[in-house]
Amino acid sequence: MIDPIWLIIGSASVIAFYMAWSIGSNDVANSMATAVGAKAITFKQAVIIAGFLNIIGAVFVGSHVTDTVRKGIVDVNSINIDTQILLIGFVASLLSAAIWVTLSTWKEMPVSTTHSIIGSLMGFGLIAGGVEVVMWGKVSSVIASWILSPLFGCIIAFLVFKIIVKTIFSKEYPVRSARIVGPIIFGFTAFLIVSSLFLKTSLSKNYGFSDFDGILIATVAAIIVVILGIFALRKIKDKGPEDYHTVEGIFRKLQVGTSCYVAFAHGANDVANAIGPVASIIPLAQGIEIGSTVEVPMWLLLLGGMGIAIGCLTWGRRVMRTVGSRITSLTNTRGFSVDFGAATTVLIASKMGLPISTSHTVVGAVIGVGLARGLEAVDLSIIKKIVASWLLTLPIAAGTCIVIFFILRVIFGI
Amino acid sequence: MDKEKDHFRAPIADTLRRKSPFEQLIEHMCKVRECIDILGKGLIRYYTGDYKGFSEITKKVSKLEHEADIIKGNLRNHLPTHLFMPVDKGKFLWALREQDAILDHAENLAHMLDMRHTIIPKSIQELFIEHVNLIMKTISAMEEAVVNIRDLVETSFVKREREQTKEYIYKIHELENEADKKKYEMTKEIYKLEKNLKPMDVYHLLKIADWVDDIADHAENVSDWLRAMIAK
Repeated sequence: MIDPIWLIIGSASVIAFYMAWSIGSNDVANSMATAVGAKAITFKQAVIIAGFLNIIGAVFVGSHVTDTVRKGIVDVNSINIDTQILLIGFVASLLSAAIWVTLSTWKEMPVSTTHSIIGSLMGFGLIAGGVEVVMWGKVSSVIASWILSPLFGCIIAFLVFKIIVKTIFSKEYPVRSARIVGPIIFGFTAFLIVSSLFLKTSLSKNYGFSDFDGILIATVAAIIVVILGIFALRKIKDKGPEDYHTVEGIFRKLQVGTSCYVAFAHGANDVANAIGPVASIIPLAQGIEIGSTVEVPMWLLLLGGMGIAIGCLTWGRRVMRTVGSRITSLTNTRGFSVDFGAATTVLIASKMGLPISTSHTVVGAVIGVGLARGLEAVDLSIIKKIVASWLLTLPIAAGTCIVIFFILRVIFGI
Repeated sequence: MDKEKDHFRAPIADTLRRKSPFEQLIEHMCKVRECIDILGKGLIRYYTGDYKGFSEITKKVSKLEHEADIIKGNLRNHLPTHLFMPVDKGKFLWALREQDAILDHAENLAHMLDMRHTIIPKSIQELFIEHVNLIMKTISAMEEAVVNIRDLVETSFVKREREQTKEYIYKIHELENEADKKKYEMTKEIYKLEKNLKPMDVYHLLKIADWVDDIADHAENVSDWLRAMIAK
């Protein structure tokens, strides 16, 4: 006879894997589509890059957001709820988020997996332990981050694009400046990625790096990247003045890098949506209280990362191809700015432990480039849909979760 | 049909339109250019009394006008209300409208000339040909201006590209001015020949001068709207 606790963990893991799969197949396409649309990479390359770097991002940086999801929304140490209720509650919220995400995928609504899982957790917290169990302080900071992250993505993308315009396009020989400016921005990307890997992560703990060491390593890595970049691009010659075509060619190369950046940041943030609740269940099932001392198990992060990667390799191919072919009006300099703006925002949010929506941030970044008069046409009607999904997702996900919670209680007789 | 519908959440796909309106404006411009090229060459032959093949030219002009109309319709009908463009949408549509007016005029002109073969007196043939050449130059200057908008958008409106577009616009103005002067000269010459010509011939000669010149006027209007469109 198998311990029922393990049955719960097992089924929760299966649902979590499904969630990860859904994130992989849909949201990865959202974040990588800019690179595919700008023809920096083919959709096949995108799928492979996204799959691989999502795992890396999830495993090494994913624990911050996972921590927020597992103990930042519902106060798991509250005396109001007993362990079994908690177990059922986490399973219910996972199931509810999975259903809601599937439904919104079917209806093609711009709903975020992040919002669904947070909404579900809140619903469960409210019904199981009452108002005081939901950690409103943390929840409000999370909700604020949902509004701020597209805004932030918008501002960063705007600035990066303005920098490209001022330093490259306004020159009579733009290719010459692009050979220098491109790698410098790229070095900045490297700095952010490397520092995110070494600041307060399991990696730095294992090797005993201090924050200062992390910054130092990141700086060195950035400088190496800049030098290598300038060296690699030195042979590209312009075909006369105002050769914007070659500039785009340079950025096409650089965009391969930024799309890796997006995939990495995406893995770091969104893996939590799938495995966060499971990360709460495991210590509960083992009879340990989730204090700050319990780390998110590495195998779970890996499971989430793998789920995203598999989602991307299976269904994501189709989605990526369709979305990529729809947005062909994006050129490489624009795609670069969008990727940089979105990925930087998502990565910073991931380090702060804030679960945000990658796809909404990408939309914010697109609008940022549009505001810099960089895009030929942006359809703003999407903003309405996104705001509507913000307002609707929380109550609906919460409601669904409450219903599932009661059904599970009846089934298990608790 | 329903089976082919993909199901996914992709807000990014709705944000960016498939086709750039500027690309379509250039496409439309290419039709204008092609049309005026054909018509201009046809006119020169017509002026020298060679009416052979003018009916075909008329048909070609009509065909191009129709193709351009489809582009125009597509462009106009698919600019959703929430479309966020780097230029004023109204001004953009006005430029398109004026660009399209060139084709309408070209079509009317071709049909009118095809209906009645008006003989151009030898003494003013040269003047008429010079006038058509000026019109064709104006249109190619206009094409350069419209195509330059692509660079302008690519660089997100840097000063240098803006100045370049402005230069093309000045060039259009200059050419239009010259064409106008040429038209007055033509009119003067036609009046001088008034006594030797049939009234209907005079009427048609004046009409040709006017209608051909209208093409340049509309080209100038396009350039004015482009200028307004790219203003800060």
